[in-house]
Amino acid sequence: MSAEMANEIKLISGRSHPDLSEKIAKRLGIEVARTISLNYSNQETSFTVGESVRDEDVFVMQSTATGDVNEGLMELLIIISACRTASARRITAVIPNFPYARQDKKDKSRAPISARLVANMLQTAGANHIVTVDLHASQVRCCPDPKTRGVANRAAVDNLYAEPSFLRYIRENFTAEDCVIVSPDAGGAKRATSIADHLNTAFALIHKERPRPNVVGRMVLVGNVVDKIAILVDDMADTCGTLVKAAAVLKENGAKSVLALVTHGILSGNAIETLNGSVLEALVVTNTVPLGDKVERCPKLRVIDISPTIAEAIRRTHNGESVSYLFTHAPV
Amino acid sequence: MRGTLIFAGSSCPALTGKICENLGMAPADAELSQFSNGETSVRILTSVREKDVFVIQSGSPKINDTIMELLIMISACKGGSANKITAVLPYFPYSRQSKKKSHRGAITARMLANLLGVAGVKHVITVDLHASQMQGFFKCPVDNLHAEPLIARWIRHNVPNWKEAVVVSKNAGGTKRVTSLADALKLNFGMVTTDKKRGSNMTASMIMNHLDGIERQPFLESISNQVRNNSSGPENGTAPADNGQPRASRSVADANGSPRRANGLSARTPSHPRPHSRAQALSQASTLSELDEESEPDGPEYNDQRAHEVTHGRLVQGHIVPDDFPSPATSAADASVIEEDPMAMSHASSFFAQPHALGGSGDAASSDEEDEILKNPKIEHMITLVGDVKNRTVLIVDDMIDKPGSWIAAAETVVKRGFAKRVYCIATHAVFGADCLEQMQACDCIDAIVVTNSYPIREDKARNASKLVVLDLSFLLAEAIRRNHYGESMSPLFLHMGD
Repeated sequence: MSAEMANEIKLISGRSHPDLSEKIAKRLGIEVARTISLNYSNQETSFTVGESVRDEDVFVMQSTATGDVNEGLMELLIIISACRTASARRITAVIPNFPYARQDKKDKSRAPISARLVANMLQTAGANHIVTVDLHASQVRCCPDPKTRGVANRAAVDNLYAEPSFLRYIRENFTAEDCVIVSPDAGGAKRATSIADHLNTAFALIHKERPRPNVVGRMVLVGNVVDKIAILVDDMADTCGTLVKAAAVLKENGAKSVLALVTHGILSGNAIETLNGSVLEALVVTNTVPLGDKVERCPKLRVIDISPTIAEAIRRTHNGESVSYLFTHAPV
Repeated sequence: MRGTLIFAGSSCPALTGKICENLGMAPADAELSQFSNGETSVRILTSVREKDVFVIQSGSPKINDTIMELLIMISACKGGSANKITAVLPYFPYSRQSKKKSHRGAITARMLANLLGVAGVKHVITVDLHASQMQGFFKCPVDNLHAEPLIARWIRHNVPNWKEAVVVSKNAGGTKRVTSLADALKLNFGMVTTDKKRGSNMTASMIMNHLDGIERQPFLESISNQVRNNSSGPENGTAPADNGQPRASRSVADANGSPRRANGLSARTPSHPRPHSRAQALSQASTLSELDEESEPDGPEYNDQRAHEVTHGRLVQGHIVPDDFPSPATSAADASVIEEDPMAMSHASSFFAQPHALGGSGDAASSDEEDEILKNPKIEHMITLVGDVKNRTVLIVDDMIDKPGSWIAAAETVVKRGFAKRVYCIATHAVFGADCLEQMQACDCIDAIVVTNSYPIREDKARNASKLVVLDLSFLLAEAIRRNHYGESMSPLFLHMGD
């Protein structure tokens, strides 16, 4: 028996999204590791791993719950640090919804590049590897990948895509010819064209002016959506202002119905109310972010389970197999 | 100061304002807010290029948000080409998690130190770190300032008859801090220590054993015997009772080196932290230190004195109870069952590991966990007061006040058992978790709560607490910032002024 054989997957779950962790563990046929995580009376987080992780391949699952981003991030860092101190062989942070992903460039004078800071912090805490889903902007994607690897060495990033799951959802629910894939902003055009290409359908784009974050300006449609099912594709739905306005623009331009496929349903603020009062027929999100009672509160919200993709990525990472298969295929 | 910018974190605008006032400048402009999904947003509204930047951030009820804000501010300043960034942390967050308390726990304080380094900090200024060894966590220089001179000065000016006061530590781990203050003020010191009561019969015999002196030695007590003989025998000439184990006794003495004060403290056997042996060793220590000063090595009187100086009390639900109070845990068997019940020991460190598996209980960092257990109605504790506080003012000192349990227990012990006149609770960091301040305010045995403004205290809470005295740290911090900027020595800030 070599040391290699004893090395197994240990899945540790943070407190933000136990539901997804359970699903992943079930796919992998293992149990989520026993842990204790609590807050002191002054809200400092304390964490203990309940079983040995010595020489194991540790995967720490932590999403970021709306409103508790920093809480979740600190807990993740503490968990990684605890596993590092407890002599884990390799630690992979599984962060379906990468926090601060939107603060990824110095767009104004002295603006912090918080996404890079978070990536560096994860490495400092002791993460060897990061697995995430649909990072917000290409900058981040290349930031932890080739660039940050130079800046803060070692940690590799695997960015998974919800696209295969979306493709399957569209194929199962609609006829591709009836659809037109719409990107709600110029930045997401690449994602939308990729889906359109796979489905062999038309593509449209909405150009918008965004004066400040979470505030939407004027919108202009480029492309034809008349009598089609317009499918908006984006990576995150936060306050949903953009999506709802885009849906209205599409309706005005003659779309038969409008729905949106979004990877991360952050849905903060009064997003639910905005959605309920909108012309959007449905908002389809993956369960990368804990949704809580939002599914009950919003009849338009549909959820695609992303856990097979993440579980498969964990399995492949552990076995040293290629992850790229998952970029084009969604495991059933 | 030219070329200096001071940024205020959202946790402590008031303290930063005072520091800036001291330095004759205004806090630099920054916009701190949160996005709707809870991510922290920082906008630095003034140029920081080639500036000496100080970021001041303390703790707050949303401690993790506070930390992220600090890290992002530092990162933003670094990205904005600041010359040097200094983090000023009057209260260092997570400083209590500075070591691996249980199997597979995190050393969060070290991680935080690393995170600060990654964000771009080149220097750290902090006050009264929970464990001063934490300075070693940082790759950059750390100035760990002391609030002690400030506190000592307040005591000299405001405590009536302070020269007769006794400084008391509320747990064994804090003794070092207490002796330091006691030395500075040239006062006597005492100690309060809490132990879980292990069966009523046994404890009773221990107390008897104490009061009766050395002559009566039940053979069960051989361990304590060794310790006592070791620490008392060679030092002051009391005849060491030969109990037939000279070899064991000598080996302990060798291991400990010179049997002086330090020996007395360390002489307790680590695997059996029994109340009586610890108390005995400590009483020895405190008496010895007294003897050193007063130089009255009178044999028989000394023995009497020692018997008086150790006072025991029974602690149920965090309060002192009379001796005839019915015991909640009737037998030793019951107590051991409770010990294994995970619900009784709600803290992580005692959940998986046995309580004493790693590190002892006599540790400053574990006072919080002890606090949790103190509240358990089923467990009775024995609380031991070492040192004479009768008709004296007692200053109970620690580095932070978070939970009230151990403070109230210690205050009740010195008042109800030791007959102290007045009790001051003194700490640097006023963390005041939950309703701590209200409970301490309501405690009859506490006369004043003296803290500094290192940790922001909520206005509405402070207004209702008539016992609360808040000392201002801003001058100390401002001076540290000024000296840092001009490259002057910090040492004068550690000195006690004689005014």
